[in-house]
Amino acid sequence: MNYISLIEYLPYIFEGLLWSLALVLGGLGIGFTIGLPIGTMITYSDKYTKFILNVYIWIFRSTPLIVLLFLFYWGVFPNIGLKLSPLITSIIVLGLRSGAYQSEIFRGALESIDEGQILAAYSLGMSKIQAIISITIPQALRISIPSLSNEYAILLKDSAICFTIGVLEVLTRARIVSIATGIALIPYLIAGIILMMMTYIGLKFFHTVYKKTVIPGLIEGI
Amino acid sequence: MISDTILNVVDLHKKYGDSIALDGVSFRVRKGETKVIIGPNGSGKTTLLKCLNLLVKPDKGRIWLGNIEITDPRININKIRRKIGFVFQDFNLFHHLTVLNNVMIGLVKVRKLKKHQAYKKAVDALSTVGLDNTLYHKYPAQLSGGQKQRVAIARALAMDPVIMLYDEPTSSLDPQFVNEVLQVIRKLAKNGVTSIIVTHQIDFALEIADEIIVMHKGRIIESGRPTELLSNPQNILTKKILIRNFRTLR
Ligand SMILES: Nc1ncnc2c1ncn2[C@@H]1O[C@H](COP(=O)(O)OP(=O)(O)OP(=O)(O)O)[C@@H](O)[C@H]1O
Ligand SMILES: [Mg+2]
Repeated sequence: MNYISLIEYLPYIFEGLLWSLALVLGGLGIGFTIGLPIGTMITYSDKYTKFILNVYIWIFRSTPLIVLLFLFYWGVFPNIGLKLSPLITSIIVLGLRSGAYQSEIFRGALESIDEGQILAAYSLGMSKIQAIISITIPQALRISIPSLSNEYAILLKDSAICFTIGVLEVLTRARIVSIATGIALIPYLIAGIILMMMTYIGLKFFHTVYKKTVIPGLIEGI
Repeated sequence: MISDTILNVVDLHKKYGDSIALDGVSFRVRKGETKVIIGPNGSGKTTLLKCLNLLVKPDKGRIWLGNIEITDPRININKIRRKIGFVFQDFNLFHHLTVLNNVMIGLVKVRKLKKHQAYKKAVDALSTVGLDNTLYHKYPAQLSGGQKQRVAIARALAMDPVIMLYDEPTSSLDPQFVNEVLQVIRKLAKNGVTSIIVTHQIDFALEIADEIIVMHKGRIIESGRPTELLSNPQNILTKKILIRNFRTLR
């Protein structure tokens, strides 16, 4: 056992925090960019578009993350001539997968908004797109915040799986340090604490946004 | 066409599946006129009103607003709808917007007015419906039913509509709020705002209407001035509707 070298390795573990953050925020961001338009299209478009988008959602929701990672890292990206680092590959895969989940979140939120408001928007002369952008999406976004916060916590846990293609996020580094120093538990404990902090701060953030965007007087139906 | 006709409806038909909602409805509205539509539940009143701004697409029949045929498939319906004020039974205010923004959003997004112009028009409309300015920054969920409906009227009015359509504007209100809304509608009608009002408030209908239209099973079974209908109803159903409501009045 070598506790001195463990201390030397601490910055190395903490550096993993940046990688984990990149995975989670990148995944969440890409997921949002994909999920909001797709959720919106599924809610409001014709059944053919719906069908195609649902296939995407189904594939990414039903395939285990580890399979997706392997598939994209060794299959899809090399085959289309893209040489991407494990980190970038992981962010994209997490994003595509989160996009599928977020589509479902936004679809649910949009569907919960009463049709009367859309009719009222039409009656003012708004186009369908204007009504969606100005009336239903702002309300749906707020309704989605608790689910998005949930999605953040899930992404954080999922990000650890990216070690399988060699992403040096917090847990991967903890494992390396554990092997290098021969200390079994403590590196993982440190990693655990870091991830817990990230969860706490993230959830706090979403909670604050939710509170800040409360619509006065409105009793939440959900 | 008579020159002061603002709305001309010819032979509207509408089916939902197999059930017939409108079965050949025709009528005209003159500028400044107040038409009131009455009739039992399910007689097609809401469907008729929604056909007039194409929220519901009629299966057959034609509608002219001024000299524009709005049932012409080449027409841009959004351009037409902004000229037709629609007031819903359930208000349908935008939950996430303040009172002021509920009224401004059509002016800004649809009529593309500058913020300060939209603000001025919104304030005008809100004071027309008598809404206290301490409420301008409240959200719909913080208002009483009567206040909500008055905001909804202001939202429609701010667009400078050529005609206002009201679908049972007081049916969702607690009784103590009915009068403040009727008061606004009455005032607008008196000021020459062309209006079509669907209502179950027969006393109000008789008081305000230039002409009452009685609907039953998707058809107009009778129409005429309130005094005519009251003194000499041609149809037994008209008689029933008018008399039953008079009884409840007393
Ligand atoms: N969206 C719809 N889908 C199917 N049927 C409908 C729909 N809207 C109305 N109907 C039917 O069409 C007929 C006319 O309905 P409509 O709502 O126009 O009547 P109404 O006179 O407004 O009734 P009420 O006084 O209850 O508001 C009714 O038989 C109703 O059940
Ligand atoms: Mg109705």
